[in-house]
Amino acid sequence: MIKVGEKAPNFTTKAFHQGDFKEVSLSDYQGQWAVLFFYPGDFTFV
Amino acid sequence: MQNLNVEVLAISTDSHFTHKAWQEQELSQMIEGGAPYPLLSDPDGSIGKAYNVYDDNLKVNLRGKFLIDPQGVLQAMEILNEPVGRNMDELVRQVEAFQYISENEEEAAPAGWEKGKQTLKPAPGLVGKVHESWSKGELE
Repeated sequence: MIKVGEKAPNFTTKAFHQGDFKEVSLSDYQGQWAVLFFYPGDFTFV
Repeated sequence: MQNLNVEVLAISTDSHFTHKAWQEQELSQMIEGGAPYPLLSDPDGSIGKAYNVYDDNLKVNLRGKFLIDPQGVLQAMEILNEPVGRNMDELVRQVEAFQYISENEEEAAPAGWEKGKQTLKPAPGLVGKVHESWSKGELE
């Protein structure tokens, strides 16, 4: 179970950004503040 | 979020192909140039499961927000059940507070703290004296 104050689980996955497909890992953002936003799905009313 | 030097990553169970279609067909109509942040795919919900936001019945990730510091440590999290959206103002407040505290480690940001407001310095002498630095009506 995840907890505040502990390491956030790392992952690597495919992403779409600035017109391209790319691989993104959470660890790519080491050294920066990051926010993960989970949402139910594209084309829904977020 | 860009002004605060925070990288935003949006994640759903949609494929990266669906993300492309959504960005090009809909988001670009809503925001000039589309959403500026990467749209990540989590087709089997494994990332959502690791963050405890995956809903087994709906087969999607619920709305979850996770603030991660430069060392990769989780500093804040929030998960909302289906029908309610998030509040960006509250996220900005939390980011500003955590960033401030990470640069001023002996201080603490009390309830309702916003940028520019007074922080507290937890110490034995502060016990029972929090009310002195508390503006009246703060909890109303």
